Amino acid sequence: MDEYAGKGPGSRAEIAAVERLLRETETVRSEIRKAADSVDWDALPGLIADRALAAEGPKARLAPAPRPLAWLAAFRMRPALAGLAAGLVVGAAAMYFAVKAPESRSGRDDAYFASGEFLDSAEREMARRNTVDYLEKSQFMLLDMFEPAGGEGPVAAAALRSERARDLLQKKKYLNTQLGTFQMAKAKALCDQIEMLFLELSQVDDELTAAELERIRALIEDRQIFLKINLVKKELQSGV
Amino acid sequence: MSEVSAGREAEAAEIASLLERIREGDREAFMTVTRLYQRKVFVLAYSILRDREDALDAVQETFLRLYQKCGLYRPGSSFQGWLLQMAKNISIDHYRKNRRKRQDWETARPLEEIPAAGPSPDGDSAASDLRQAFARSVDTLAERQKMVFVMRHYNELQFNEISETMKISIGTAKSLHFKAVQNLRKRLAPVLGIEL
Repeated sequence: MDEYAGKGPGSRAEIAAVERLLRETETVRSEIRKAADSVDWDALPGLIADRALAAEGPKARLAPAPRPLAWLAAFRMRPALAGLAAGLVVGAAAMYFAVKAPESRSGRDDAYFASGEFLDSAEREMARRNTVDYLEKSQFMLLDMFEPAGGEGPVAAAALRSERARDLLQKKKYLNTQLGTFQMAKAKALCDQIEMLFLELSQVDDELTAAELERIRALIEDRQIFLKINLVKKELQSGV
Repeated sequence: MSEVSAGREAEAAEIASLLERIREGDREAFMTVTRLYQRKVFVLAYSILRDREDALDAVQETFLRLYQKCGLYRPGSSFQGWLLQMAKNISIDHYRKNRRKRQDWETARPLEEIPAAGPSPDGDSAASDLRQAFARSVDTLAERQKMVFVMRHYNELQFNEISETMKISIGTAKSLHFKAVQNLRKRLAPVLGIEL
């Protein structure tokens, strides 16, 4: 400190300040000493010992001396203790379900709370997927119309085609609501066009004549149904 | 082996034997340990709590805890450090519990209102103001700085003892002490009439 003090007046002032500060600790020390002197230190250990012994003492002191064959008693009691413990657990669980279940169920509902925005986006996504599915099935169905005659071609499978057309018409009815709700105008217009085709096909239970087949093929080609299906599918799949 | 370290080992062995007897429920051994350390524990507790009765409560609680947990003491480590650490924790708990009471005292008079040091016709009053400002400034130090300062200046512990009690290195103890002194100097500059 003397060395530091020799460095200049600033250093000396700083040391003086710190010394003055530390002198204050002596004041507090004397206050503590005064407080300590007022305590009866001879009586205190006895008081604390009384309190300590009155309370629960260390385990080693309180542990009873081991009795011979004491472990046997513990072994004999083990099934009873296990039964008691199991009973407590089952009882507690039963009480929990009986008393707390309605509350916890409502808690669970809260845990699964979803915002309206989230539900909207989920429904929109469902509508999008259903539309893509409808378009794909329609595409396969319409592709059948371009199969060459013979085998399971358009003429041989007239009944089956009619049934599939009716299925798809049903599906379209369900889809109408979704397409309207989520304003998927382009997809709706296309699905409506396809619906018209299926309407015609569903009414033909008998075999299609070559002329009818040709007319339907022309309709599909004129309206560029396949191209539109592909475009709309792509748009829907990319989430536009 | 130096005389100092031989003395320390004998003391440690004596403490270990006393603790062993306490574990067996020996009242006399417990009273001996209490007699040996009660004053040191009181000084630490009083430094933190600044209230005689609160400090005495902390002393009692510390030794009661010692009685219950003497089995947890690891022979070879500093017993005094272990005991004072317990006392420190108990005192800090008390301090936090009685915060409201303490806040009343702390806010009794803002630091700025205490007159700067200087020639005063009423010397006693100035000294009392300074003491109050000093005590309050120590109280507002960061907890670790405060603990090191209190142990060093009120308990008059060496830095190695402080490091054992606070479970920090000696270097950290010294650094915390330096920071405590600097902070006190800054806070008390207007009261002490010193320039920063």
